[in-house]
Order: sequence, then C-alpha cells, then structure tokens
Amino acid sequence: MGKESEKLKLEEIYVKYRSIVSFRVKKSLGVYNPDCDDVANEIITNVIEKLKKGEFRGESSIGTFIYTITSRRIIDYIRQKSKVLKHIPEPSSYPDPHDQIEDKERAEMIAEAIKKLKPKYREVLFLYYYKDMSREEVAEKLGISPRRVSERVNYSQKLLKKMIKK
Amino acid sequence: MRNCKFEEIIDDYLMKRLTEDEKNSFEEHYFNCSSCFEKMVERDELITAIKYKGQEIFKDECVPEGITKESIWEKIAGFITPKQLATAAVSAALIAVIVFGLLFLLKPTPPQFFINEDAVRGGQITLISPVWESDTVPSKFEWKSLGENVEYRIYLYDNGNTKWEKTTKENFVVLPEDIKKTLASGEKYSWQVKAFSAEGTLISVSSRVQFKIHNPE
Repeated sequence: MGKESEKLKLEEIYVKYRSIVSFRVKKSLGVYNPDCDDVANEIITNVIEKLKKGEFRGESSIGTFIYTITSRRIIDYIRQKSKVLKHIPEPSSYPDPHDQIEDKERAEMIAEAIKKLKPKYREVLFLYYYKDMSREEVAEKLGISPRRVSERVNYSQKLLKKMIKK
Repeated sequence: MRNCKFEEIIDDYLMKRLTEDEKNSFEEHYFNCSSCFEKMVERDELITAIKYKGQEIFKDECVPEGITKESIWEKIAGFITPKQLATAAVSAALIAVIVFGLLFLLKPTPPQFFINEDAVRGGQITLISPVWESDTVPSKFEWKSLGENVEYRIYLYDNGNTKWEKTTKENFVVLPEDIKKTLASGEKYSWQVKAFSAEGTLISVSSRVQFKIHNPE
C-alpha cells in the first residue's frame, strides 16, 4: 500500500511538472534548440530518482526543489555550449510555429478569433503585443488608463477562449 | 477568488521585460503556482499567434495613418490610362513570377545563431557591451547589427523604469553627458534593444541585460 501510494505520488509529480520543466527549458534554451526535449527528459528523470532516494527532505516546497534542479541543469547546458563566449544572448521567445502542426493549427485558430474581436480589443492587442509597446505607451496612445489596458487584454483573452471552445 | 499577485507580471516575463532577478523569482513562482502557470501558457499561445500571424490579423491596423486603401486606388485611377494599367499589370505579373521563383529557390530557414559552431537558438539581437560589470560609467552601448535598413530603439532602465531611450540606425549609441551624470557607482542598471524594419514593424527584441558600475575604491 505504501509503495502503491508512493508510486502514484511520483506519477502525479511527473504529470504535473513535466510540462512546467519543458516550458522553462524551452524559454531558456530556445524552442529551435533540438536538445530541449532531451534536457527536459533528463531533468524530470533526475527529479524522480532524487525523490526515490529520499533526497527531498521537505526543506522547501516540491516546486522549488524541482525548479532548483531545472535551473542547475540549464546553467550547466549553457556553460557547456558557451565555453568561448563571454556572455550568452538569450533565445528568441517566439518561434514561428510552422514546425509543429498542432501549434500551427492552434495559432491559426487564435488568429482567426482575434480578427473577429471588436476593434477596441484588437487595437490593444496590436499595440501591446504586436508593436511591443508598454502598458503606459498603449494607454497614452488610446487615451485610457494603464489599468484599462490590462483589463482589455484580459477580457480579450476570455473572449478568445470562449470563441475557440465553441 | 483572489488572483495571485504574480499574474500581473506574466506579460512582462513573456515579453522579456523583467530584470534577471525578477525573472528568476517569477520562474520559481510558477513552479509552485499552477494557476499562474496555466495562465502563462494560455498567454504564451496568444502572443505566439500574434507575433507570427500579426501581419495578417492586423492588416487594417498596419495601414499608415491617413492612407486608406480607397485613397490609394483613387490616386492610381486618377492619372493612369487603361493602356498604362494593362502594361503595369503585365509587368507586375512578370515580377511576381520572378519573385516567386526566387522564393522557391531560397527556401526560408528559421533564424538561428551559433555558439561554438553549434546552431542553438532563434535569431535575436546580441548585446555586446556593457554586460555584467563596468569599471566606469559606460559612455557607449553597442550591439550586433542585423543588417541594413533596420532601425534600433535602445532603452536604458533603472529599477525597471525607462530612464532614457533613443532611436538610431547605427549599431551603437553614445550616452549623453546629462544622462551619464545620473548613473551612480555601485548601482545596477539594465538595457535592451528593439529592432524595427523600414516599415516600422518590430522584427527583433534583445534580452534585457543588467550591468553594474563598480564602486571606485
């Protein structure tokens, strides 16, 4: 029973943190990096092994424990890849999703939904994300408060979620 | 239900507007907060779609102010005869054939750069100096050029607030004396560069790099 519940707990941890570790690795190494999946797999396997050996003693939360292992592996990877370079430029965060069919379809669905939004929501998304303006710059351009900019962005996201679910 | 206070910085994290310390702290947070992680993944999808389908989504918004599609056609129709229009159409078709032919031959590849001859990341602006630490107040900020017809906007931040910004077509800027005087020894500042095409479209953003000016002792 003890072993059963322990196994179940490890599976839960694996399911919950696999996507978080993978997201963090991709953000740090760049989604074009072919090593991303290997690095993420290596981290999550390492986490499970450490948990099995009882190396997690509850001094921090499980999330912080996994975050620390993930960060160390990412730093090691970057060090290995940049022995010559003095500093490491960060990766581009937003890849063209054309490589993965699911991502491409998802991006197309979102794009179609954005086109159907009212102009007042679309213009906020245009200035804030596409033109990369700060909240304050968008607010000034549209004559609204920065708080209202955030509200419109959040509301747009809610509307898009509804439209995509339909 | 109360929202998590970190939700407010999800956008700043995804748009690379956080300092290194803020970024690390938020990354640790989302390992512990499922709600923030879920919201961040949704927002990341939205931003990815906008970044790569933006030109198509916002084609109306991308038309420069004061110029409408109707006014362009009205102007053309005003001074071109049908014969000239037909000649223009044939020329345009020929140009299109050549351009598409070239596009077919030059298959696009995703942007990437090299570290130790290994292609590892997506394309972006590489900041050259200052990075990490500086013995004196830096007078010049330099980054790797992305080629011709690119306009750069450099931002200098103090505690996350924009302290100074400047637009240039060079791959460096010299800090004005009045701004230089306001940079204090022992303090940390950060800077970032954004690149725009000749049409004003954002094409690349550098990471936000922090540097510290040494205390002269």
